[in-house]
Amino acid sequence: MAARLERLPFGVGHTSGRWKLWMAVLAAIAILGWYGWYLELSRGMIVTGLRNIGPMGGATWGMDVAFIVYFVGVSFAGITVAALVRLADVKALRPIARMAEALTVVSLVLAVFAIMYDLGQPLRGIVNLFRYARPQSPFFGTFTLVISGYLFASLVYLYLGGRRDAARCAEVPGRLQRFYQLWAAGYGDTREEQERRSRASFWLAIAIVPLLVVAHSTLGFVFGLQVGRPGWYSALQAPSFVLLAGVSGIGMLIVIAAVVRRTVAGTDRLDDGVFRWLGNALMILLLAYLYFMVVELLTSIYTGAEREREVTEALLSGRYAPIYWAAVALLVIPLAFLIMRYFRRGAGLTTLVASGVMVNLSAMAKRFLIVVPSQTHGTLLPYQPGSYTPTWVEWAEMAGLIAFGALLLAVFAKLFPIMPVEGSES
Amino acid sequence: MRRRIVVLLMVVAGFGLQAVTYLFLATPIGKPTDDSFSNPRVPFAPALFILGVVLVFLAAVVYEVLPENGRRESR
Repeated sequence: MAARLERLPFGVGHTSGRWKLWMAVLAAIAILGWYGWYLELSRGMIVTGLRNIGPMGGATWGMDVAFIVYFVGVSFAGITVAALVRLADVKALRPIARMAEALTVVSLVLAVFAIMYDLGQPLRGIVNLFRYARPQSPFFGTFTLVISGYLFASLVYLYLGGRRDAARCAEVPGRLQRFYQLWAAGYGDTREEQERRSRASFWLAIAIVPLLVVAHSTLGFVFGLQVGRPGWYSALQAPSFVLLAGVSGIGMLIVIAAVVRRTVAGTDRLDDGVFRWLGNALMILLLAYLYFMVVELLTSIYTGAEREREVTEALLSGRYAPIYWAAVALLVIPLAFLIMRYFRRGAGLTTLVASGVMVNLSAMAKRFLIVVPSQTHGTLLPYQPGSYTPTWVEWAEMAGLIAFGALLLAVFAKLFPIMPVEGSES
Repeated sequence: MRRRIVVLLMVVAGFGLQAVTYLFLATPIGKPTDDSFSNPRVPFAPALFILGVVLVFLAAVVYEVLPENGRRESR
């Protein structure tokens, strides 16, 4: 094992006044979100902007479902990065593997909350899913495979990948020593254990990659297989979901890595190579996603059926046009930044972080545009176009979830090294 | 050796449970002809499928954490 640690690395176990203030703000927003959920449970879904499709001119899936899709999409980054580190031996990504895995776990937990918010009777919904779900249904793939299998697999990856550092941190006396001993579970960094770690992480990566593709694709199939819903029924939904998941996940990872670099890691541990790699990955995913968007758009405009065109017109020039064009701008501007960055080969961390934020805002808007317009416009029965406007309860719930996610990540970073401890990266 | 056997059993049981659940315990696959195509043949069959997925990944934890017959490992 490497030299004994004198104190816990990366600010673990130390909290400043500023950090506590941030946590208090995040906790307050999260509590406001839970208050919104309490209102929803006690007064019913009437406190939301959700209404029946058709006769009531509304949408039954709104912000909650859009954010389920968004959070599951963000989870893409962690396991992909972890799998790339192991299968493709991408050494540049090693320093961010753990924060990526933590991001996956946290975003999947947030997705579970978003599902609960969407259900009028959450307990009944969850129990019946495990009782009656049809494995042939894309809902099964999404809500059971993603939430149970994918979340469990991510937890296993995070746990096993952290044992070595837990063993090192357990050498440092303090309040967290027992916690590290439990996590390390007797890890002694012997040659056999190192070999076993290497083999297990390789096979885990192999097992997780198909799960990842199935999980994100079935989420696309939830929409893409609905033949009676113009705007959703498309063979491109599943691959588009995987691509946008990659865009939002890598974008979020860039933001988190930049925060970690600024607060605890410094430029030595998180060098420009990491950000160059992430920037290039984001650029390629953005290019591919924009290509898919254009193909989808051209198909629906050029040869789309009447109802299909109605949805497309609502997006391009109708009720949803401001959101649509804002989402497009928030994809195109970062792409321009990333292409310039690629040719200049400069660091430009500020523009990279701005790109990460922009693509995530765009992903939220795009998820909203995938979920809502096909319910309010283009219905096959002769109903007038409807509308959906989220209430403050839904805004509070989603802001609360984002704050809760940030809180979880910040607390995790104070309990466990957010990056591999020096001398533990073999 | 003991660890390898346990891990192998867990992986086989996990994949087996997934396959059996999907093919024989869950809602029948195929064109629906009556009410039996609406519900799983065994209640909580989807939960069993998830248990299979969990078993497979739990095997990785057993593989890394379970000691090999109490033998000391060399550094």
